[in-house]
Amino acid sequence: MDRARIQDDLEALAAEGRPVPEESPAEIEVEEQAAEEEQVEGEKDKKKKEEEKPRENGVLVLDHLKRGFHLDAQLNSDQVVAAAEIADRAGLSLEAVTGVDWLKEKKFEVIYDYALYAADEDLFRVVVRSFIDRDNPDIPTISGIFPGANWHERETWDLLGINFTGHPQLERFLLPEDADFHPLRKDYKP
Amino acid sequence: MSRLAQSQHYETFDINLGPQHPATHGVLRVKLTMDGEYIVRAEPVLGYIHRMHEKMGENRTWAMFLPNPSRMDYLSAIAFNHGHVALVERAAGIEVPERSEYLRVIMVELNRIQSHLLWFGAFLLDLGGFTPLLYAFDDREKLLDLLEYVTGSRLTYCYFRFGGVYNDLDDEEVFKTGVHEFIARLRSRLPMYHNLVTKNIILRKRLEGVGPVSVEMCRKYGATGPVLRGSGVQFDIRKNEPYSVYPEFDFEVPVYEDGDSKARYMVRMDEIEQSMRIVEQALDKLPDGPIMPKKAPKLIKPPKGDYYFAVEAARGTFALRTVSDGTNTPYRMKVRSPTFSNLSLFEEASQGMLLADALAFMGSLDLVIPEIDR
Amino acid sequence: MGKENIPSSVVPSSLVHFAPLEKLLNLGRANSLWPMTFGLACCAIEMMSAGGPRFDLARFGCEVFRPSPRQSDVMIVAGTVNKKMAPAVKTLYDQMLEPKWVIAMGNCAISGGPFVFEGQYNVVEGVDQFLPVDVYVPGCPPRPEALFEAIMELEEKITGKRRWPRVEAV
Repeated sequence: MDRARIQDDLEALAAEGRPVPEESPAEIEVEEQAAEEEQVEGEKDKKKKEEEKPRENGVLVLDHLKRGFHLDAQLNSDQVVAAAEIADRAGLSLEAVTGVDWLKEKKFEVIYDYALYAADEDLFRVVVRSFIDRDNPDIPTISGIFPGANWHERETWDLLGINFTGHPQLERFLLPEDADFHPLRKDYKP
Repeated sequence: MSRLAQSQHYETFDINLGPQHPATHGVLRVKLTMDGEYIVRAEPVLGYIHRMHEKMGENRTWAMFLPNPSRMDYLSAIAFNHGHVALVERAAGIEVPERSEYLRVIMVELNRIQSHLLWFGAFLLDLGGFTPLLYAFDDREKLLDLLEYVTGSRLTYCYFRFGGVYNDLDDEEVFKTGVHEFIARLRSRLPMYHNLVTKNIILRKRLEGVGPVSVEMCRKYGATGPVLRGSGVQFDIRKNEPYSVYPEFDFEVPVYEDGDSKARYMVRMDEIEQSMRIVEQALDKLPDGPIMPKKAPKLIKPPKGDYYFAVEAARGTFALRTVSDGTNTPYRMKVRSPTFSNLSLFEEASQGMLLADALAFMGSLDLVIPEIDR
Repeated sequence: MGKENIPSSVVPSSLVHFAPLEKLLNLGRANSLWPMTFGLACCAIEMMSAGGPRFDLARFGCEVFRPSPRQSDVMIVAGTVNKKMAPAVKTLYDQMLEPKWVIAMGNCAISGGPFVFEGQYNVVEGVDQFLPVDVYVPGCPPRPEALFEAIMELEEKITGKRRWPRVEAV
């Protein structure tokens, strides 16, 4: 398994989805040092960046001992299927799909955890994340590529209300069938 | 799928297995579409013991979540606790004294033996043999005495703290003697189990070739633990992503190629032996020293960002992902439980299986329902 | 005379009491309480331990765990009941034959236990909200000895007197 290749593939994917600076001045401020930034590893830089402005799409190489994963790719929501294909080609397996509710930013973050389960190699973890609009939480399903994603996505829809378009069975999973709420949303009040 | 089910002349019928059924080990429900004795579709229905662990992770401080992981998977509770404290230690940058790491490993491995012993008894109960359950419980009680001596509780432990463990051994010699006695006893009993059960022709006929799970299926569904190792992948977080002091021990990862229920059975039986080896080495090497760091932080505020930590629990990879917003409560606490992924392949793997075989297959996945539902 | 003339709701379950016979029957019931095999969560493992070789529930005539509610006398609610499971528990209780008893084992069955917090959305805060509970066993989980004490309490409730010596705390 070629780790550098996964990184290259994901970076190419992220670059495709990066907005051209002139066209979207209001949405995301594009930094000049984008290329440099991708290579910078470590937490301090990321922390600083997160405080200032939303992170730009791209791949970060992280310190595994500090964070628990090796690659962190942020992509557009329509690219997660392509990312799943990259992971599938590289022989990674899907560990979990989950979501985070960013109430203040009016965003949902959808996180895909991939890991390499191989006998003779050290574990390699790739995180793919994507931000979607909180009022319109649609993201394509990857259950066509990883059938195991079926349950994870169903659970994420159940608890957070993230709509995985194309999912074969987006029904109540952990909650009773007649539940009409998504409890892990930060604005949920019983 | 059986040929009958594909033909339109035959009708299928639905039955409900559970949520109260002795073979589902708790409150799992399986919606079965049957064609006679053959399964056309088996859809597990979850949520009958959903206990809001992820919500609880968000609305309390990091330390107040300590008792929760042991109630997710009450059989390998200590391994789950280990995952949680190690995650917070990683996030907040807390150093753990060496003695504590050794004590943790000893406790986790004893707990793993306990879990596999209980699974051994309960699995054979599913298959119709009652006697092995009594033997397994006999051994398990001896082990629980040792665990209780150190941790103070029998089942739902809360022994670990951020930075170390709650309590040092009262009397190291008493504990060491107890563990050595137990290991000697279990070593003498394991051959008996193998003679009594493993070589039994009825057991072999019920397990061999039943419920084959391929490597590819494991990968697509994210199955880990004995399921993956029973399919021929020698993967273990303790070896492949070493944490704590596991690199210091000499142990093997048992692996079987067949991918059937028998392979998973054998993996667990061999893991008991390997865990005993780890415990023995850890007891020999157990260093003196403090059990908590000198400056154990009272208030835990990890820096912003998300953190991930995975440990090898008795049933597979248990991982926690937490998102910290820099305050003293987690912003998000996601639990990745091993059996959730292991069970998700049941629907595909059980197609066309006999109902009785499907129950043997389900038992060989070693389900703990509160950990699936969380 | 037709049975249909009397509304069934006004007829008590046993209209005529034969005191000595009742006593005899109750003694028999107390000596052979058959629990239902019904594990929900962590407490179920301690319930299994209680039936195991060291603690040996059989000493009290209580070891015959029945998988079917039709054959069991006492329901040990061992674990958390949530809103999805509650209708199933109620159905199981309704399927049991009279006379029947309920033991709420563990904090979750008593009050929801550690899973009660402000804003909780899924846990039933105590099975006594929909079942008549006879004995409560606190603990998280209770030790097998505590379950034994519950069985003895139940026997006392059935027969009117305690048949085993009470162990005082030292």
